[in-house]
Amino acid sequence: MPPRLHANSVPASIIPCPSVRSQSAQTFRQCREFSQSSCRRETLRRREMYAWLNGPGAALKNPLPGSTNYLGAYDKYGNLWRARPGWTPKKLDEEKEETKEEPKSDEEKDASSEGQEPADELEMSVRRDEERKQKSVAKAEKDDELPPERLEDLRPFPLNKYFRSQSVLSEELREAIYQRVVNEGASVSLASVEFGVSNERVGAVVRLKQLEKQYIAEGKTLAVPYAKAVLEMVPKTPYIDPKLPENKGKRPVQHESINDLIVHPATRQQLFVPVSESREFTRVDAGKAFDNNLLPADERIPHPELVTAERELAAGLSFAERTRLAQQRLQKENERKQKIEAKKQEELKKLRTVPGRRWDFVFQDISVENAGKDGRNDKGVGWRYGLPHEDRKKGQVKIPTKVEA
Amino acid sequence: MRKKARFHSLKKIKVRQDWSRWTLYNLSRLKPPNLASKTYFQQKWTAKSDTRAYHGEQVREKQWKRMFRRNLPAVVSMNYQYLARYDGSEQAAGRGAGADTTPGKDNRPENPPRTPYMQMAYYPLERRLDTAIFRALFSSSVRQARQFVVHGLVKVNGKKMVYPGYMLNPGDMFQVEPESVMFATGAPKHQSGRARRTERSLAQKRAEEREGKILKSMAPTKVPLLAEEAAAAPPDAKSDAPPTEKELKKNLQSLMEEADAALAEDVGAKDKQKLRDFRKAVRKALSLWRSSSTTTTLATLEQQLSFLKSQFASKNPSPPSLSTSGADPSPTTPSPDSETSLSPEQQTKLAAAFKRLKEEAEYTFKWGKRDPTKPYATPWRPRDYMSAFAFIPRYLEVNQKVCAAVYLRHPVARPGLAEVPTPFGYETGQLAFNWYLKRR
Repeated sequence: MPPRLHANSVPASIIPCPSVRSQSAQTFRQCREFSQSSCRRETLRRREMYAWLNGPGAALKNPLPGSTNYLGAYDKYGNLWRARPGWTPKKLDEEKEETKEEPKSDEEKDASSEGQEPADELEMSVRRDEERKQKSVAKAEKDDELPPERLEDLRPFPLNKYFRSQSVLSEELREAIYQRVVNEGASVSLASVEFGVSNERVGAVVRLKQLEKQYIAEGKTLAVPYAKAVLEMVPKTPYIDPKLPENKGKRPVQHESINDLIVHPATRQQLFVPVSESREFTRVDAGKAFDNNLLPADERIPHPELVTAERELAAGLSFAERTRLAQQRLQKENERKQKIEAKKQEELKKLRTVPGRRWDFVFQDISVENAGKDGRNDKGVGWRYGLPHEDRKKGQVKIPTKVEA
Repeated sequence: MRKKARFHSLKKIKVRQDWSRWTLYNLSRLKPPNLASKTYFQQKWTAKSDTRAYHGEQVREKQWKRMFRRNLPAVVSMNYQYLARYDGSEQAAGRGAGADTTPGKDNRPENPPRTPYMQMAYYPLERRLDTAIFRALFSSSVRQARQFVVHGLVKVNGKKMVYPGYMLNPGDMFQVEPESVMFATGAPKHQSGRARRTERSLAQKRAEEREGKILKSMAPTKVPLLAEEAAAAPPDAKSDAPPTEKELKKNLQSLMEEADAALAEDVGAKDKQKLRDFRKAVRKALSLWRSSSTTTTLATLEQQLSFLKSQFASKNPSPPSLSTSGADPSPTTPSPDSETSLSPEQQTKLAAAFKRLKEEAEYTFKWGKRDPTKPYATPWRPRDYMSAFAFIPRYLEVNQKVCAAVYLRHPVARPGLAEVPTPFGYETGQLAFNWYLKRR
């Protein structure tokens, strides 16, 4: 092994390493004595990071009161796009104001407004109006108020124009949905149409609210400060209480589109179907052309009853006639539900339950044929002679695929 | 073996799934990829490595490859009125692609925005339990979420689930222990030894101040008491006869009640703040009354209250006269003497105000104070930079109070919007998707 040379003891002229030669005296002091490599670049990067965090990124450290606070809402100098030039957040000091005066470049502004979609524009404007009114009622005299967010300001990832933070249900809206479904007995689809919230979400809100009430009844600790803080940080869909006199004639704010049609995989391909000119080629025919079992969009959307009702309205039926038809449909639906319920009860009756000391023993009829030809079918039960279990084999995944609610 | 790369590197910009300042800084530095100088393979490789550093970095590449699906889910929102009025044959009119119409007519949009399918390449990963916990804002990083799951702090449909790789099914509800969520999302207890030291010194200073105050308040009390014994000295300037302790306490309590009643009304935020400060002062005086006579403080307090009262008497011309206290356990039934002067509308308002006040009081009692037993900084506040990452995607419905969420459906793409939160641009997503199509 060749003898090691110490950087300090050897004159600089004979050391070939350029990194050591190019160092200034100041950086030498920063390095450890035994270190041959420079740590200059590393510290530069880190210094830049902290310069950014203390400069333009400082506004992101704490939430903006009464607003969202995403990276996409700021320009590279750390100024809010939507704020007026003189605006400063309440917490920040006066020294920030100097940078605020800088004029914004119009190019970047235009670029950022490209990704807006017209479909959501209406809803956003309604929501914005609502917020503006609420704010103006509360603090009319305040002129240093921050204007409400535009769609571009809701981008947590500035590079991704196709993602933005979408609003969540406000606390009051959740409570109202729960009351409507549980106390007033409205069906899920009805509540969904009324509040402009999708079917699944209505169910989820009710389930979560029930859990919350159960927690309160059991005296468990709720994460109240956390809930408050999070709901301050994200955009919310406000609840417009129709009972209040000031909300007369207002329509509820649509939270999301409730009639979403899933793009069926069969419809992804392009299809050329020769059809005679005289033929009326409707949606039903188009569905059949793609796949024999594909229903038309009218029946695949979550709220087909809305289409039916609208069709009757377009056909010019009288109000009495329409209500009669609606009641008929309701009755049919109820009968169908009762049938399903009866079937469930029937199956439950088939089970024989023997109560034990700790556990109940439930007996149910099993067919030997369920095991299938190779004896490995899921439905097969019990130990079958000569068929070892595979659960200890390599590569068998033990993670459950579903948990019963 | 090769040295493992730094998790948060400043040299190679890797965005990670967490709320750290490193991630925020890297996000702000992220640029669209430079495609001109690279071959197609290189473009795909860099896109894949960048996106995989964010999406499911804790998942092995082979596992992810097995999860990858080339069919990406999408939805189109339908207009039920359009569906009812048209049967679709108008789209096959003309030469088979619909008759020429002026755009914007009959409810049809001019050119719908394109569906960003390619931003959905990593949608199967959003089904994982650990990722969903992170997306529901229950943890500050995916790795932390994973730890919560492994440590048994997470339930799926009410049953403990210890597999972070559990794929959620639509309709599954998952709950995380609220204490852990508050620990994960709250500010850390002590950042450094220096912060601890400054905190300690501040606390010491505060304690000294408090002691000084007590001493100061003790000092003047001695004099009038002695004077009273002598009985020759002239009476106090403020009150002609020094009140006894009992009277003082009574006075203070009545003041407190008045302040509470004023708070219960619908007053402005500023007034409320002042009143609350005032109430705090009264409470302090109440606690001090035994140790010293508080004639002077009482007088100033009375003055303060009268000033405040006059202030919002001028603001709302007829405030209802109240004599109930804020701590009344039955807020829906106002006391009988106030019932006569209140209209039902005012009563509901009053009840609401009482409820709010009660909740506020309970909240401050429960969460407003320091608690050294907690693993996070108390009173709780969100951790730094949380607001920049705080968004809840639409495929989750979250109840923050119980720290539970429901996975409603798989994330979908819709015209102009992709629901998978990814920090990268469209081209990067496209290249990454192409990488996993395996035709390299």
